[in-house]
Amino acid sequence: MSADSHDDHHHQQSFWTKYLFSTDHKTIGIQYGLAAGAFLLFGFFLMIVMRWSIAYPHEPLPGYLSWIFTDGWKARWLDGGKVTGETYNMFGAMHGTIMVFLGVVPLGFAAFGNYVTPLQIGAPDMAFPKLNMASFWVYLLGGLIMCASFFMESGAAKSGWTNYSPLAGYADKQIVNQLLAGQTQWLIGLVCLITSSLLGSVNFVTTIIQLRAKGLTWMRLPFFVWAMLVTGFLLLLAFPPLEAAGIMQLMDRMTGSSFFMPSGLYSRTDGVMELSGSGSPLLFQHLFWFLGHPEVYVLLLPAIACVAEIIPCHTRKPLWGYKPMVWAVIVLGFLSFIVWAHHMYLTGMGPVISTFFQTTTVLISVPSVILLTSMIISLWGGSIRFTMPMIWAAAFLPMFGIGGLTGLPLAFNLADLHLHDTYYVIGHFHYVVAPGILFGLFAGVYHWYPKMTGRFMDNTLGHLHFWPSLICMNFLFFPMLTQGMAGFHRRWYNGGDAYLEKASDGINVFGLTVAEKISLNEVMTVSAIALALAQVPFLVNMFVSYFWGKKVTSDNPWDATTLEWATPTPPGHGNFTFDISVYRGPYEYSRPDHGEDYFPQWEEPKRSESGEDESEEPAEETKA
Amino acid sequence: MEIPFVVNARKDTGLNNSKVGIWLFLASEVTLFGGLFSGYLFLRLYADYPWPERALPILPGLINTFILIGSSVTVVFAWAALKMREWRKFQVHMSITIACALGFMVLKAIEYNAKFSHHAVRISDSGPVEGYGILEGHKKKVVLEENDRLHVVHKENGKYPEESFDANRIVFKASEMTFTLTRPVHDAFVIEILKQAAKRDSKITLVEDYAVMDEDQIGKDGAEKTKVLKAGDELTTDALDKAENVFLDSRAHDSAIRTNFEKASWAWIRDEKGIDKPGYNIIDLEVWKERRKEDNEKLKPLMIGAESGITFRVEPALTLILEPSWMTSNGRNTEQLKLRDDTVIKGEMLESPMILGVDAIDFSFTAMRAREQGLDPAAVIEKSWIVQEPQLKAIWENHQEWLKGETARLAKKDREPSDLDKYRVTWQKIVAYGQAKEADPDADLAKMAEEQTLALPGWLDGFAGADHYNPEMVKHFPEVSIPRDKVDFESTFTPKWNTYYAIYFTITGLHGLHVIGGMIVLGYYLFFGRKMYDSNPDWLANRVEVGGLFWHFVDLVWIFLFPILYLM
Repeated sequence: MSADSHDDHHHQQSFWTKYLFSTDHKTIGIQYGLAAGAFLLFGFFLMIVMRWSIAYPHEPLPGYLSWIFTDGWKARWLDGGKVTGETYNMFGAMHGTIMVFLGVVPLGFAAFGNYVTPLQIGAPDMAFPKLNMASFWVYLLGGLIMCASFFMESGAAKSGWTNYSPLAGYADKQIVNQLLAGQTQWLIGLVCLITSSLLGSVNFVTTIIQLRAKGLTWMRLPFFVWAMLVTGFLLLLAFPPLEAAGIMQLMDRMTGSSFFMPSGLYSRTDGVMELSGSGSPLLFQHLFWFLGHPEVYVLLLPAIACVAEIIPCHTRKPLWGYKPMVWAVIVLGFLSFIVWAHHMYLTGMGPVISTFFQTTTVLISVPSVILLTSMIISLWGGSIRFTMPMIWAAAFLPMFGIGGLTGLPLAFNLADLHLHDTYYVIGHFHYVVAPGILFGLFAGVYHWYPKMTGRFMDNTLGHLHFWPSLICMNFLFFPMLTQGMAGFHRRWYNGGDAYLEKASDGINVFGLTVAEKISLNEVMTVSAIALALAQVPFLVNMFVSYFWGKKVTSDNPWDATTLEWATPTPPGHGNFTFDISVYRGPYEYSRPDHGEDYFPQWEEPKRSESGEDESEEPAEETKA
Repeated sequence: MEIPFVVNARKDTGLNNSKVGIWLFLASEVTLFGGLFSGYLFLRLYADYPWPERALPILPGLINTFILIGSSVTVVFAWAALKMREWRKFQVHMSITIACALGFMVLKAIEYNAKFSHHAVRISDSGPVEGYGILEGHKKKVVLEENDRLHVVHKENGKYPEESFDANRIVFKASEMTFTLTRPVHDAFVIEILKQAAKRDSKITLVEDYAVMDEDQIGKDGAEKTKVLKAGDELTTDALDKAENVFLDSRAHDSAIRTNFEKASWAWIRDEKGIDKPGYNIIDLEVWKERRKEDNEKLKPLMIGAESGITFRVEPALTLILEPSWMTSNGRNTEQLKLRDDTVIKGEMLESPMILGVDAIDFSFTAMRAREQGLDPAAVIEKSWIVQEPQLKAIWENHQEWLKGETARLAKKDREPSDLDKYRVTWQKIVAYGQAKEADPDADLAKMAEEQTLALPGWLDGFAGADHYNPEMVKHFPEVSIPRDKVDFESTFTPKWNTYYAIYFTITGLHGLHVIGGMIVLGYYLFFGRKMYDSNPDWLANRVEVGGLFWHFVDLVWIFLFPILYLM
């Protein structure tokens, strides 16, 4: 094969096939990464506009936030420069959608998964390279369709990222041509995204099952690959019900059907709506959260996967509890399919059903804790090198810990009745996603950047990125937990100002008042803006290091053990230059019987050694 | 670079890549259709109206079931032929498979078409229960007469007269219309209105000048507004576009000025008044209130303030024929219509009845409601508008007569007629009663029912439902004129009509797309597979096998669909 791949290097590829319509998993991974990064920045921007409205509800947007809008747009969507409720809803819905569907999932699963997975299993590419390319372009198309609606009369979708009917079925109904309504385009975009992730997940799972290198048995797979396998299955099986829901909602909008519209709906402007009725809004919620909950793990697992790769490498110590972690991630995948209704405690389900879902929800914390604990114990007794990737990975552990633990009260019906739809929920899942998952993915970027480019990222800029981010994240999200307990509702576009007017002294069950916590809004808004500034060093670093960063001196600059470091830097088309065979598990660091403190998976054992240790042989059944 | 296991199986898994891929894909398809099927269950279990049972003609569905099963067999033969390197045989079997798929789609199209042309109306009856009776049938074609009344027309030489239209339109005599400039005016509405105005020699002209101050003239002495449109200008889409653009520009200008004022006041309260707290309760501060008042005074002369509406007069008053879907239900009263783009048309609603060739009457919803309230359904139904209408009354009486006999017949077997028997008069029954009475005006329907001698139309007479093109059948379907205020909700048999048809069209539509997709893929192997057959026949066999697996899945979905949609 080496000869083949050698030929391919010299094969003339035009700019288009090499960089744009490439079928190479590495190029596609980078395309996903760049697109997802751009969407993340856009989603972040929307959030800052919203936070401005929360902290300063009566003050016009400052120039540094509003320069991007045209005068016509401002006249339509802002009231004397101030964010209106409608605009806030629109930004809120799109912030959620962009961050989840267009940002974090494509970055974690598609970008890292695409780049790293085939390398780590010793494959020349994904099993279906053309499908892989299609999957990226369908994703981009879906994302652009969703975002294009910002510039239309209707504006973008505005019924929350969960898009609950009947609100979502009714919003933008005044637009005569429904194809030009933001709410409809959201659905069309969503169908594109789901199609894309289906193509992607079929590809990933097939690749992992079929294209593992000689000797790479299941229990020799790096944890990263296991996590990707489980994520692939989650996407594969959980997303289609949402596609069904999306299609039904699209029918509701385009053909006037009543899948999710109950009988007798009345609106102030339209009177009794001309609908057949008898639809079920609850059906939408069920179908949505059947995806929605596994989706949380789709977000999380790639980040855990990155951290699980980085910790052994930068502590020079095997991953503690590799096998329990593998089983935990599989159990987690299974359980994530039967916890969805804990998002729906307030819909009036009976005690039997809610007990079932409370039980499964508490159960799912067991595998999650196994994963986190194993990674913490992995640090014990290691010789930790605080390189950039390791710093991010180390920060991931406590941050994700806070995010996970604050979720426990929400698992219980009793506590959730009070906390539902408050900022507590927002604080909880943002701790999981922002300082948790994003830190894990940042760690991944710093870790694999040398493999992708042949240069290290700059350390000083890295620290300038890390420390402000860590501080701002906490100042941004911790107050949310307090505010939530004081009863701040997650959809107050003016940050509680209107509520104060009506009920300034209302004390809730936790003994806190809105009045005493409202000043936290300003702290959080300032932190959000500072957090945005803290990302500048990162963007600069990505760019500057590509041209002027410190060059790597070997193909394996971190002295790591997994297969991606056996490739040339950066890997060419076809990845490996020699026939790869795997002789041992993925985390053989600091073996007492081995000279160096790492023993790569692909390194052939010495004669004397192999005679004694059978496990060092490539497993018989996979010799292709 | 070559990807391994494209053709040959990997030893430890025993599969090639595409086999793994297709099984994974099918797993996701199972959850996709699983979502839709659970939607079906949810909608059916929680329906607040009597779920339509056996509402579809069974024969086309049954034929389709066998067609798909047959094609699933031939696709396996095609694959086996490839394995045995018999290209000719492969071609034959694959052609049969694709022909079956085509046949399936043709039958599907016939069924869909029957639904799309079949209309239904809920007749509002604010009687003792808030229910509705349903009339089904075909909309008639009508023309507008000189006296603004509707007149039903029939086909002449196979064609309806050119100026005829469906008898469910709103007929409205318009004298004035106001377009809203804050939102884009929907061009298609304007074009249609203009077309009708031209046909009936009406002029639609601007009432007042649409004049707007120029941006650079603001604040100058003696500045005058620029006339964008003059009074008397005729309505065109271009004129509306022009006004719209001017309005949007002026709005953007005003908004920018107002924003600057807001910012200045905030700077003032922070820097000069030293009040530096977030926005909360700021509106209560006296200094702030005072400042706002001053601002508003100063702002006034700086604003352009263009009018957001533009009004046209219609002379002479124009009788418009409009689709009901153009307007919101609330904006449909006798003096004005509000179109969905916020255009308001003033004038007078003329009598605009719906005229339907009725082929079914259904009181099951009324009966359900009556029973819920402990009332006798029969008594409630007696009072409804439908039973007051003479032609429908005749059908209903025939039905009661038949029901008497049917009840007696079933009583002998210790059974009772179902709700469907009692409260739904199907097209078959309307035709059967009509034919019986035609043959013998004194025919005793009760006796015929008891002796089971009443002849219902055969399966082929109405293959996909009542045949409105067959004069022998159509003559039994009375032409009923339903006053507009009795029309509670109307629709063709599309997803809009009820959740049953919604899920029917969604699942079968999606299934149909799968059939088309499968047909394209298998067709590709049939017509473009020869090259691969010559170079790598095993690869082609693998592909056909994978396509065949998908085809089996499509077949399987239909095997579930047929009973739940057609039989249950």
